[in-house]
Amino acid sequence: MILVIAEQQDGTLNKSSWETIAAAQQTGGPVKVAVVGAATAAAAAALAAADVAEVLRVEAPVLSPYTLDGFVSALGQVVAAERPGDVYLPHTYQTRDFAPALAVHLGRALVTDCVATRQADGRRLFVRPVFQGRLLADVACDGQALATFQIGAVRADTVVRGAVPAPVRTVEVAVDAGAIRQKPEAPFREAKQAVDLTQAERIVAVGRGIKELEKVALAQQLAAAMGAEVGASRPICDAGWLPMDRQIGSSGQTVAPKLYLALGISGAIQHLVGMKGARTIVAINKDPEAPIFEVADYGVVGDLFEIVPAVIKELQG
Amino acid sequence: MHATETWIFRILVLGFAAAFAAQVWTRARLVLRARNNIHVRDDETGRRLLRFVAEVVFQSRTIAERPAVGIAHLGVYWGFTAFALYTGVEFLAGLGIADFTGARWFHLYALALVPFSVAVMLGISGLLVRRAIVRPAALGDHVSGESVLIGFFILTLMITFLLAFQWETGLAARVNWWIHAMVILGFLVLIPDSKHFHLVLSPLTVYLRSPSLATVPNLDFEQEQVGLETVADVERKQVLDAFTCVECGRCQVNCPAHATGKLLNPKQLILQNEEALLAGALDRKLADVFDAKVLWQCTTCGACEAQCPVGVEHLPLIIGARRGLASNGEAPDALAAVYNHLERRGNIWGLGADLRQKFVQSAGVEIFDAARHEYLVWLGCAGAFEADFQKSLRSLFDILRARGVRFGVLAKERCTGDVAKRTGNEYLFQELARANIEDFSAAGVTKIITSCPHCLRTMGVDYREFGFTAEVVHSATLVAELTRTMAAPGAGHVTFHDPCYLGRYAGVTEEPRELLARFGATVHEPGRHGANPFCCGAGGGLLFEEHEEGRRISQERLEQLHGTGAPTIVTSCPFCSIMLKGAQASANTQVEFVDLISFVDGRMKSAAPAATPRP
Repeated sequence: MILVIAEQQDGTLNKSSWETIAAAQQTGGPVKVAVVGAATAAAAAALAAADVAEVLRVEAPVLSPYTLDGFVSALGQVVAAERPGDVYLPHTYQTRDFAPALAVHLGRALVTDCVATRQADGRRLFVRPVFQGRLLADVACDGQALATFQIGAVRADTVVRGAVPAPVRTVEVAVDAGAIRQKPEAPFREAKQAVDLTQAERIVAVGRGIKELEKVALAQQLAAAMGAEVGASRPICDAGWLPMDRQIGSSGQTVAPKLYLALGISGAIQHLVGMKGARTIVAINKDPEAPIFEVADYGVVGDLFEIVPAVIKELQG
Repeated sequence: MHATETWIFRILVLGFAAAFAAQVWTRARLVLRARNNIHVRDDETGRRLLRFVAEVVFQSRTIAERPAVGIAHLGVYWGFTAFALYTGVEFLAGLGIADFTGARWFHLYALALVPFSVAVMLGISGLLVRRAIVRPAALGDHVSGESVLIGFFILTLMITFLLAFQWETGLAARVNWWIHAMVILGFLVLIPDSKHFHLVLSPLTVYLRSPSLATVPNLDFEQEQVGLETVADVERKQVLDAFTCVECGRCQVNCPAHATGKLLNPKQLILQNEEALLAGALDRKLADVFDAKVLWQCTTCGACEAQCPVGVEHLPLIIGARRGLASNGEAPDALAAVYNHLERRGNIWGLGADLRQKFVQSAGVEIFDAARHEYLVWLGCAGAFEADFQKSLRSLFDILRARGVRFGVLAKERCTGDVAKRTGNEYLFQELARANIEDFSAAGVTKIITSCPHCLRTMGVDYREFGFTAEVVHSATLVAELTRTMAAPGAGHVTFHDPCYLGRYAGVTEEPRELLARFGATVHEPGRHGANPFCCGAGGGLLFEEHEEGRRISQERLEQLHGTGAPTIVTSCPFCSIMLKGAQASANTQVEFVDLISFVDGRMKSAAPAATPRP
């Protein structure tokens, strides 16, 4: 049996929990899911939709807010009681905080940042990137392990849902509040960026080639037609044509969309470093010498004021 | 002189001398307790003495930027020096120790002093008018009453000196003598606690100043050095500097950050250091003394230090304090990303080595082999990854090939560590430097060409501390030499933007201009050029900190260059080029940019058939 530790905050599940459940389901064996906190009913009810053997509510007042000692103590007891095989966790910040201590507490190996698992010679192998993602290593463990899964490595929508909700059971744990060394303060939230381009799948980015403020609307129309977000290079934001939170580059956001459409962007290196992670880069620029063409997968040397309206028409047609 | 008079004078001299000594002692103690960072190598003595003669005796820096003020000051300075013996003799007589005032030589000496006294009077009057009436911004918001008082003291000294010729004996002569003597004593006690302490310290600080600009020696990690964290960590030369500062504001006037409305004011920095030292606030954090924000606004262009007439070194203080912050993980966010890139990928952009390889292959350059190649061409982070600058390197390769220079590049490179060094991430810098030096020595490299002034400085100066001896030359210098016999006419009007790390740091100002002129360009100079250019805003890690307070430095510089009326701006540093082009994109001016080496290459190619080698 694989035990998945789901992550929740104030009753809301972290999306990566579903990814980890999917990874566990793909092994073909039985799966249980545990959710930890002071009030876990809502999260447990949501998790019960998955095709799993059981959902365990690990609940105690001292488990909120999160503390390393509290979680290690509670999960240590759960693992001791349930005796699972491997334990899977999403590779979140919280997991990164407590998983090493939990592994030591349980005397188990910890394999971090896995992207997949596979079976070979009767053993479970954990696949994880090494050398900055250049290579994938297969890691085999003696005994039962803890494994964390890289966010986004397994698709959340591949979770198999059950015909009926899975049974939910509350697991009694005794956590000594006095033994918790961490004294968390009220969570600090950084001023949230109004626009989060880092998660956008498609981006239409505007550069100085757009020439004037009025023409920015053209890019916005194209973005609307494509279902894309609008981004910009520094001069556009400097000029106030688009707000600062739309700036992409070394001092703006670093983005990695599936499609990046660069309109009139010359491709100064500060901009390039902010979008080099895009899967497909399409550039439209009048200047065939523009550095953007060095990184573009598709380059159009031409007048964006002719091309963009035609593309919009095509998309809307 | 009456015996009672002598006794009164003795007591007064003792009292005033004690007041002077007490103030000096307060400062001397602070200097002596500071960690010694003054190292004068024997082989530098000659150069230091020459500099002493130029800058102290002939006041070259004082005059260079402000000729009229400088010459007025020179008059006062020489006058003071000439009067030293006169004052000494008068005091010896007054104290009843020895009386040479009646000697014939003394009379002749006094006569010879008359023209000096006139020089002093003219000089100090000019300076007084400037300080009290003209009031240039460099001198601060309010008139320093003390400075004005001292100005009048000096005038009084000269007038009483001249009156002594009129009244040789009698009551008037005695009164005149006493006024003269008392003014000297009054001046004496005002010296240590005012900018006039430079009279005492500046000859020393000028002599002790490091031979090269912005010298910030390596930290010794074995000694657990982490940079400057508190006032107590400020090192000896910078403590001396704090007491020497003459508050003239040349640093302030030349600082690009200050000029564009940022909080950083290099003069203020030195004065805040002095204030903290004298207040005995030794455990105060430097980030609080200076405001941490200010420390990260410096482009390390070096204008402050290069202009200072009294040998103050600002950069060891700024970079030292940055080290203190960086060691505690308090570098700005933009730099954290760069450090990450440097650690993981060995370049400032965080790009993959495959891109560099692609460029090397497409440019058809050989991998360096000491047996076949004379020069190693160092690409640098910009050369490896920045498309625009790669064009400049392609031009360089073509010129080198055309002139028969045998060269290669390294199969792999990592950043020289310039950004790490200037932003105080010393550990990272030393790691990069040692690894590079190891690669150079493994490859048998003895001569390096680079087109990046920052790499030039880092490898050519900073690496010396690791015992690195290879010759490092900027492409402008080498290309000027290689094309000495070539010329082409009629390339139109251009302006040249001197990179700080080339013009000011390396003193390479003639070669680019010579190249431009020889290949037919008419150069129009902006006000700030040559060895004192106005920064583009990229240095000191600020390339990555794109959100600037006030106006952008790059914008200001672009306007200055645009103001020359030349339609083309010639650059010779990848970072200047990035900054100025960025400014152009924001300003929407239509100036053309061309890299110096690409310009030469283009001219050589277009003029190839007609190029007439000079005999």
